[in-house]
Amino acid sequence: MIYLQIAANGLVLGGLYACISVGFSLVWGVLNVINILHGTFIVLGSYVAYFGYAHAGIHPFFSIVIAGLVLYALGYVLQAGIINRVVTAPVLITLTLTFGLDLVLNNAMLVAFTADYRAVTLANPLGSIEIGPVFLPGDRVAAMALALLLTVLLYRLLRDSSIGRAIVAVRMDREAATLMGVDVKHINAVTFAIGAFMAGAAGALLSIIFPISPLNSQVFLGKAFVVCVLGGLGSVPGAMVGGLVLGIIESFGSYWFGPEHAVTLSFGLLLVLLFVRPSGLLGRRGYE
Amino acid sequence: MLTTKLSCRIASVVVAIGVASVVAGGPAFAQDVIKVGAPLPLTGAVSPEGLKQKRGYDIWAEAANAKGGIKAGGKTYRVEIVYTDYASNTPRAVQSAERMITEDKVQFLFAPFGSGATKAASAISEKYGIPMLAPSASSAEIFNQNFKFIFSTLTGNETVSVPIAKLVTAKNKDIKRVAILARNDLFPLAVAQEFEKAVKAQGLEVVTSERYAIGTMDHSAAITQMRAARPDWVYASGYINDLMLIRRQMNDLGLKAQVITLIAGPAYQEFAKTVGPLAENITTMSWWHPAVRYKGKDIFGSTEAFNAAWEKKYGGEADYIEAGSAACGAILQMAIEAAGSVEPAKVRDAIAAIDAETFYGRVKFAPGGQINSLQPPVLQLVGGKPVVLWPDAIKSGELRFLPK
Amino acid sequence: MRTWFALFVVALALASLPLTGNNYLLRLATTVCMYAVMAQSWNFIGGLAGYPSFATAAFFGFGAYTSAILQNHGAPPMLAWGCAGLAALVFAAFLGGAILHLRGHYFAIASLIVAEMLREIVNTMPGTGGGKGMNLPILKISIAAQAQFFFYSMLALALFCTAAAIVIHRSKLGFGLRCIQQNEDAASILGVNTYAYKTAAFSLSAVFVGMAGAIYASWVNYIEPPDVFDVLLAVKPLVMVLLGGLGTIFGPALGAVILLTFEELVWRNFLTIHAAALGLIIVVLVLFLPNGILSLIRERFPRRERPR
Repeated sequence: MIYLQIAANGLVLGGLYACISVGFSLVWGVLNVINILHGTFIVLGSYVAYFGYAHAGIHPFFSIVIAGLVLYALGYVLQAGIINRVVTAPVLITLTLTFGLDLVLNNAMLVAFTADYRAVTLANPLGSIEIGPVFLPGDRVAAMALALLLTVLLYRLLRDSSIGRAIVAVRMDREAATLMGVDVKHINAVTFAIGAFMAGAAGALLSIIFPISPLNSQVFLGKAFVVCVLGGLGSVPGAMVGGLVLGIIESFGSYWFGPEHAVTLSFGLLLVLLFVRPSGLLGRRGYE
Repeated sequence: MLTTKLSCRIASVVVAIGVASVVAGGPAFAQDVIKVGAPLPLTGAVSPEGLKQKRGYDIWAEAANAKGGIKAGGKTYRVEIVYTDYASNTPRAVQSAERMITEDKVQFLFAPFGSGATKAASAISEKYGIPMLAPSASSAEIFNQNFKFIFSTLTGNETVSVPIAKLVTAKNKDIKRVAILARNDLFPLAVAQEFEKAVKAQGLEVVTSERYAIGTMDHSAAITQMRAARPDWVYASGYINDLMLIRRQMNDLGLKAQVITLIAGPAYQEFAKTVGPLAENITTMSWWHPAVRYKGKDIFGSTEAFNAAWEKKYGGEADYIEAGSAACGAILQMAIEAAGSVEPAKVRDAIAAIDAETFYGRVKFAPGGQINSLQPPVLQLVGGKPVVLWPDAIKSGELRFLPK
Repeated sequence: MRTWFALFVVALALASLPLTGNNYLLRLATTVCMYAVMAQSWNFIGGLAGYPSFATAAFFGFGAYTSAILQNHGAPPMLAWGCAGLAALVFAAFLGGAILHLRGHYFAIASLIVAEMLREIVNTMPGTGGGKGMNLPILKISIAAQAQFFFYSMLALALFCTAAAIVIHRSKLGFGLRCIQQNEDAASILGVNTYAYKTAAFSLSAVFVGMAGAIYASWVNYIEPPDVFDVLLAVKPLVMVLLGGLGTIFGPALGAVILLTFEELVWRNFLTIHAAALGLIIVVLVLFLPNGILSLIRERFPRRERPR
């Protein structure tokens, strides 16, 4: 019976992991840039939601859009202004650049907001839903549902809109896309901005669940890494599957091996996967 | 091939600039000043705690200077605290401590935050023979080193574990099964281990005992496991953000127990404010609490006077870290005055010999440097406010149990 | 010849540093030497072979803990340091077998993850003190003597490492690695044993770093997992090499000096934004000076290329 609860925990967590990772996966898959800033973007989204709730009573679920837009703008500017200069450079350069930018942004947030952990304490929490022997935390389930919805919307955007198709075109073949008249520089910026939007939105969702502090950005980033390698780069369904699988593995792994090994487990999994099947469960072979 | 002479020249120029800036950095200081070095985590993971320590030190320095300074050997000394930020990075704390001794020429040190960093820095204070007072280090591993220059105002972890074990078992014979969840670093792990020993000594059964990694953001697995073990008493250790998360997740996942004990967050006001009604009936222990009543010969004179001064300067109440930090200053002052000198070795001996009442409690140090004269109170949050359950001399309420 | 002479001059200059009597300066110099070792080591795999390794933190921590455990079982410090280096070498060889077939991003991530995993493993392993950290025996000599001892140890390691770099850069191994960087498949077709060469470079990038970690542990007397497996220890060597000049011999050392000086200045004057300051250096470096400072110098003072 306890396995039902563990599985439920894993799925709920996994849905959140999927939402955290989908933006990261997109940027990596399409732009070939590992965006170290992703974790910090998420935390920034959380802060937007937190302050929105604390000062204006806006429920974090509505802040999803606000946080998303703020991060969209930030992402666009960063990409167009700085990152685009090195987007075709080798891994070393792009990774180091986003690492440096992350140091700056994270430090700025530390100075502005301090490291004190904030928490969004909802005036009307959704409580727990009991289904038989399983307790489902209401807020988390709602967040997960919204997270999945967002992910599905992104998927539709990529498939159906012209911008979406342009992004996929750039991913498939940059030169050919240019020849076809796609403004690659703009598309690069839009892709990055969408990734940032998803991060901000995820942050707003997570604000009611996890404590908020610039110190958490590394943890989110670590999860995003594992999910992307699990699910395959640049693939939205991949991020979903990867997230859910990671959630389940961590949940059962913590139960069987002890919670202190949860992190080692997920990273060990990552290493094994990299060794065995780097393209992930669903993805095509990504960029090398 | 590169021009080797040129690269050598560049390197030496750069080194020279570096050296000049480092050497020129030290300020000149006036004759009659006592300098106390305080490396603190003013940014980074434990910055909230670092800032608490700073507030405690500052209120002491202000009080001491307001009364004209510290008198020793016919002279009067102004107190100056030298701060530096080690960004919650232990090696930096050690480096800062050493720099303060060699460059800033501090005569005394206040320890960094926490058992881990204090232990690391104690090697420096011992090496250089500079007395170091620590307001946030309780773990035996520090004092087992038998160093002569480290002194801590927190009693051993067993003193915040045994009393509550005894109290709960005395009040309710039905409490039999205990579940423990500890954070995996020095203090939370050590205190949880002491607690486990204490409840076992009372004849209780520890049904689960798990650890969680630093930075864990989801405790569902551990909590689910605890729930399956049907505990009567749930104990968790960590820092305030961990404990807030654990308490909420316990509620989300339907983990109920008659007694919930969390160390060391509920002693802080932020805890009750943030978790709201979930804080009700949480028990904790704390090395000091504004509700205690002591009178002493230190600069503050009594707990009430200290509370009033704190309220005036910062508003609200001090917690045990803040009070402990001020106490470190007060103890240092008493020792200097008793020794009649600011020579580190003499002051060290005076600290080791202290046996006095202060606003913080009775102060006496065991040979390894740890205070052994405190009676940390057992507290319970009722209506968002802490009620003292033990020791009996300052008790203000009875233990309440949560519904089964 | 000129390179060896330069090394000798620098060695002599640094060796006379203790005469200034300033312990703090000595501490800074010891740190510079440690940074130089890490940067120089990274250069083998990152600069020569072109594989962006972030495993430096893993090797550093590995060496630190190996040495700490050995010393706590009675081994004398210098023996423990040597063993730590060897252990790191073996570890890297095995690790290389697991991840060196990956390219680009995947290799970078894998190498980064190793440090995280090691940290968590040490956190939960018995015998390492876990989250409580580990104490190392304090040397029973005066403070001044200790400062000098550790300075000379780190200096010797740094010189040895640089000497190794000089030898390797000019050897067949160095040549082979540069070929691999330019085009691994072509190099393989031409007969370069890419597997062996990469593993050699990776192992080289570990052995000195492992020893540096071991010396560091003895120097600070107390280590805990988050400190010796810190991700910044993986990133800073990279930054130093980029600063000084990728793939050069003295570039890493130059980068180490510059970075440390910068860090000290920032730490003293801009406490709250030191992370951002480092980040800013990185951004400026990557955008405007990707070939390092030495490249600037070479442009100013071009030398005739000697035919090889």
